[in-house]
Amino acid sequence: MAEILEQLAMCIERGKVNASSPYPPDLKGQEGADELCKKALDDGLAPNDILANGLVVGMNAIGRKFSKNEVFVPDVLMAAKAMTAAMEHLRPFFDSGEATFKGTFVVGTVQGDLHDIGKNLVAMVVEGGGYKVVDLGVDVSPEKFLDAVKGNPGATVGLSALLTTTMVNMEKTVSLVKEAVPGTKVIVGGAPLTQEFADKIGADAYSPDPQGALDFLAAASA
Amino acid sequence: MNSIERIHNILHRQPVDRIGLFEHFWGDTHRKWTEEGHLRPGESIEDHFGFDIQNCWCFNLVAKLDFEPEVIEETDETILQRDGNGAVLRRHKLHDATPEHVDFLVKDRAGWEEHIKPFLTPERARINFDAYRQARRFAADRERFFCWGGVNVFELMHPVCGHEYMLMGMAVDPDWVKDMVNTFAEVTVALMETLFAEEGYPDGIWFYEDMGFKGRPFMSADMYREIVFPGHQRTVGFAKSAGLPVIMHSCGYVEPLVPGMIDAGIDCLQVIEVKAGMDLIQLYRDYGDRLSFMGGMDVRILYSNDRGAIEEELQRKIPVVKGNYGYVLHSDHSIPDQVEYESYKYFVDRGLELGRY
Repeated sequence: MAEILEQLAMCIERGKVNASSPYPPDLKGQEGADELCKKALDDGLAPNDILANGLVVGMNAIGRKFSKNEVFVPDVLMAAKAMTAAMEHLRPFFDSGEATFKGTFVVGTVQGDLHDIGKNLVAMVVEGGGYKVVDLGVDVSPEKFLDAVKGNPGATVGLSALLTTTMVNMEKTVSLVKEAVPGTKVIVGGAPLTQEFADKIGADAYSPDPQGALDFLAAASA
Repeated sequence: MNSIERIHNILHRQPVDRIGLFEHFWGDTHRKWTEEGHLRPGESIEDHFGFDIQNCWCFNLVAKLDFEPEVIEETDETILQRDGNGAVLRRHKLHDATPEHVDFLVKDRAGWEEHIKPFLTPERARINFDAYRQARRFAADRERFFCWGGVNVFELMHPVCGHEYMLMGMAVDPDWVKDMVNTFAEVTVALMETLFAEEGYPDGIWFYEDMGFKGRPFMSADMYREIVFPGHQRTVGFAKSAGLPVIMHSCGYVEPLVPGMIDAGIDCLQVIEVKAGMDLIQLYRDYGDRLSFMGGMDVRILYSNDRGAIEEELQRKIPVVKGNYGYVLHSDHSIPDQVEYESYKYFVDRGLELGRY
């Protein structure tokens, strides 16, 4: 792997956004994900190569540390911010089709539930894992999830709920999506959820953290 | 033994006749049980079940008190408003829930210093003296333990700038977040001094402070110690200097923060959310000599409405955690309307039976 991609992965993992960012203190004044991604493109590296061996490596590293409670939400948010800065340089290549995502992930918080922190963390880590993320936001109806699946053939669906009162709406969404588009994979997560509940409602997987969602996507597309 | 004596002793882990009893409910539950005829219209749920504690939330810490919430968008189910903190929040109209954070005027130190900090003065208009006076009298008439209730610094910061900007601020500009912590702690203490001097002291203090989510706190224990702890030390320290015991609520998994919360001076940890990974029995074993507990009963078992499972949950936990006299029966969050009245009644009756000394 090119040295610049190793540096880029490190900047993503450490949440070093750009040269003017004071965080993390020990990298103050050094180039960040923003500058390094641009430089990698200028050096002629392929966008897919930069994504796979720079961004994905960095976000995977922070996601795994988060799963093991070695880092916390502020660290993941800063990593995601660095990833977004780098992604801005790659986006035109994905828009033109010159570069491709590993797959599409449709994610949202289910109907009746307005919580978004957990869902946002999952979206950040999955996007950093090389997937196109279609974030439907919060309070998303089963019909809206279905429309998004139809508009993104082959997409995997992620459903989030924080409340015991709204997790019941997951079952309706899973049923509707799987009935209308058989073969669609659905992963669920959120504070009140368990593997048992995921099994009961017919979801394909349950994950207690963002990295689990990314691992599921990787396994499903392998 | 009346409720005031009972809860006072529980918070100090001194002998009592039985464990305490308190609960939080989603608004829909009270409505449903009333419609089903279990509660009389307008009947207090505290009176109905004989709760030992009554809270009164009477402070308003929104930055611009005179700001009329501006409606940006409204549907049959939700309303999107800009509030006096400059935050754009979407709330559900049909049921109780935390609002969606849509946008914030404050995203960094400059926004805080321009839009919020200058307005956070301890003016009398922030205190609902009447509500406090009436609730205090109501509780005293029923010999119920009366708590001033309100949010602490962590819960005061995120309505201003949202969780994401606040948590990124802890990493990028910790001095900014420390300034928010210090400002909110000082204004809270100043308002408490004014209120208690004029209306009298409560029996205890109840701080709401949601610092965790599933499986982990929002911040590391080190970050808590450096940034949030000074605010807890100031506010809890004020209460303790007035001889008031302190109950601190936190949703989510906050076990790594508990040693810091104890050092700040709290007497009781509430709500011990099982589904987030909190373990009441382990907490009791680790900290039961220094801390009382309220909650930790898995609400998912309650809404299974399975008497056998409820009995098993009570049998497994109460005989252990009543050991040091420091336990108040409460679910691990709030009772949703999937819980049948009869199930909750069984939970209370059997819980208190098992909790007798």
